[in-house]
Amino acid sequence: MAFLGSQSTALRRIPDHELLDSWVATVEAFSDPRSPESRALRPALGPSIGLSPGGLEAALGAILGGVGKLPARDMIRRAGAFPKDPRKPALVFLAGNLPALAVQPLLPALALRRPVLLKSPSSEPRFTPAFVAALARRLPAAANAMAVLRWEGGDVRIEAPLLAGAGKVLAYGDSDSIADLRSRSPAPVLGYGPRISLAVLGAGIDPETVAEGLARDIALFDQRGCLSIHGIFTLGDPEALARALEVALEELAARWPPGPARLEDQAAARQEIETAHLQGLRVFELPLGHGAVLIDPEARLKISPGLRIVRIFPVADLETLPQRLAPWQDRLQGVAMANADSLLSALKALGASRIAPPGKLQHPDAAWHNGGISPLEALG
Amino acid sequence: MLYERVLRFLRDPAPDAFGALALEAFAFQFERIPAYRRLCERRGLHPGSVISWRDIPAVPAIAFKTLDLSAAPGGPVFRSSGTTSGSEQRSVHRNPYPELYREAVDRSFPAACLPAEPPVPILSLIPSSKILGDSSLSFMVDHILDRWSAPHSASAMTRQGLDTETADSWITTQIEEHPSEPDLILTTALALWQWMEHLERRGRTYRLPPGSALFETGGFKGRRRQIARQELLLKVEERLGLPAHRVVREYGMTELSSQFYTDALSGGDPDLFRAPPWTRARILDPRDLCEVETGRPGLVAILDLANLGSAIHVLTEDLGLAERGGFRLLGRASGAELRGCSLAAEELAAEELAAEGIAAEGSAKVSAGKSAKKQLDSIVED
Repeated sequence: MAFLGSQSTALRRIPDHELLDSWVATVEAFSDPRSPESRALRPALGPSIGLSPGGLEAALGAILGGVGKLPARDMIRRAGAFPKDPRKPALVFLAGNLPALAVQPLLPALALRRPVLLKSPSSEPRFTPAFVAALARRLPAAANAMAVLRWEGGDVRIEAPLLAGAGKVLAYGDSDSIADLRSRSPAPVLGYGPRISLAVLGAGIDPETVAEGLARDIALFDQRGCLSIHGIFTLGDPEALARALEVALEELAARWPPGPARLEDQAAARQEIETAHLQGLRVFELPLGHGAVLIDPEARLKISPGLRIVRIFPVADLETLPQRLAPWQDRLQGVAMANADSLLSALKALGASRIAPPGKLQHPDAAWHNGGISPLEALG
Repeated sequence: MLYERVLRFLRDPAPDAFGALALEAFAFQFERIPAYRRLCERRGLHPGSVISWRDIPAVPAIAFKTLDLSAAPGGPVFRSSGTTSGSEQRSVHRNPYPELYREAVDRSFPAACLPAEPPVPILSLIPSSKILGDSSLSFMVDHILDRWSAPHSASAMTRQGLDTETADSWITTQIEEHPSEPDLILTTALALWQWMEHLERRGRTYRLPPGSALFETGGFKGRRRQIARQELLLKVEERLGLPAHRVVREYGMTELSSQFYTDALSGGDPDLFRAPPWTRARILDPRDLCEVETGRPGLVAILDLANLGSAIHVLTEDLGLAERGGFRLLGRASGAELRGCSLAAEELAAEELAAEGIAAEGSAKVSAGKSAKKQLDSIVED
């Protein structure tokens, strides 16, 4: 960590335009399936992250699209307003559920000229080292200011000196892991903990148009993201929406086929669907993994078991929705919203950090305040 | 009456009568359980159209958390500890025919678990019904102690949790005063782990009388499960002198009335569970609920005639594979988890519970300052 810290000066010597050009070139290389980087990485990345080739392309498109030229330029420019003092390295613990997640903390760290050590997740160890190596080739002056390591999370002997040397600690993980890190880290630990996302549809929406976007927000990342939709509250006809959603999910299953699901996830999904039948819910069921839509009049947000299973909650009014969602205070992440602008401030007050039209929810850019936290403030 | 015929079948199972009796039980439950009838009708199935017990629709185990699935009134009400994913409501199994439950125990437990002719000195590390009145495991253990235990048997589980000193002193007495009597220890994996850790801390080592055995149920959740079990067996051998082949595993659950055991004491595979004659265990593909080929993993589905009072065919949350007339357990269905920017399903589900005013009893996440009741719940978790 001391060596990484010593690279802060070298980072500060890199002109903004060099950083931007190198970053954009690297992001574009990893976005282009024909690039040498992509051809080397993709065949192994899909299976290791559990996404199909089509699903992986869509996932990489969504994440890398958010850190492309315009958002990167904007972030580097805004980072200029932060103090220029030498910075101790950032230590970032990455989660393994999404591909390419490393770019989200890496860009602001470099924009702020803060050296960074990324802990690659054991379950997906490929993307981060490949990306950092490719960026280092394009930007040799930053090569020694970025490091990627992999170890068994929670290993105190390894982590103690790293935590002691870190100026900032970011942790994507479960709450126990974050709490554990907080108990051991001298530096503040910023935790990106578990959150849930949903959709709210007001009156007068066209089910088919909305369903197409909702299906993308459900199916992207095979519903594993914190911006993946678990439930849809609607004022409109739930049956019409469910039918349209079933069709849209089926179409997406052809474009973004589901990845190889774990048996335990399939088992949980099957339990959920069979129980819905027993409960007398309307169930629109596609082959397991392609999706299922359950109409649940109880209108109480529930966590989906995944595999693109979503509940539609018909509601008579939207005014009571903040009250219904109150138990999820500070656990809400994103809301796909259509014709429900009156709820904007109430949903933000509940902690929703991203509100977007259906189909756009899972496409935040680099400026997104994940969990309500500015990425530059997080590392600044 | 169907109940009596099922009872007779448990006592004297004629192999070719199982299918017909299962179909009668299906018709009985179709008639009496509205939610189940609804499930069947959605599948286009009714008693007249189902001609094989294999086609009887299975009830998902998690449905016991939200639906009343009793086919008759009365009887004890069993509740799970609700901790398998550290979340959700507890399963509720109303069992109007406890005699079938007892009969199932009588017909399967002795052969699989008793190390000698009864009465047998038994040490129980499982709470009795006086402590956990709604635990099916406690109900079963009470019955075992009533039926087969020697007078100097003991329980080392109190309302405050495992009483390690009682356990140690009982073992000491047995070794000193009854060195030729094989003992039986009834325990959950978690209680046993606690006890072994205690013995290790105290540096205590015993050698149980020759022929002694241990009944172990439950398990460790998550990925460390198998590793922890191997560690546990090593500790048991080291601390009690009991080799792995004297440890009988039991597979049971709140939602069922029958239990499954390994054949360890008769030299069988220590991890292969055997189905008693009034049950059938199958491994199903979760994608279509069709039976998978032998040796392929899937969801464990149990048809249990002793479950006449609720649902005879249960789709468990357990993963397993069929093998040589039995099945092995491989793991469990995942909980309702968010794997979003991170994962902490238990925590989120606890939020759900809090929202509903339901205490997250037995939650594996509840550790600091948890009540004795919660500790006990987590000890008996299946």
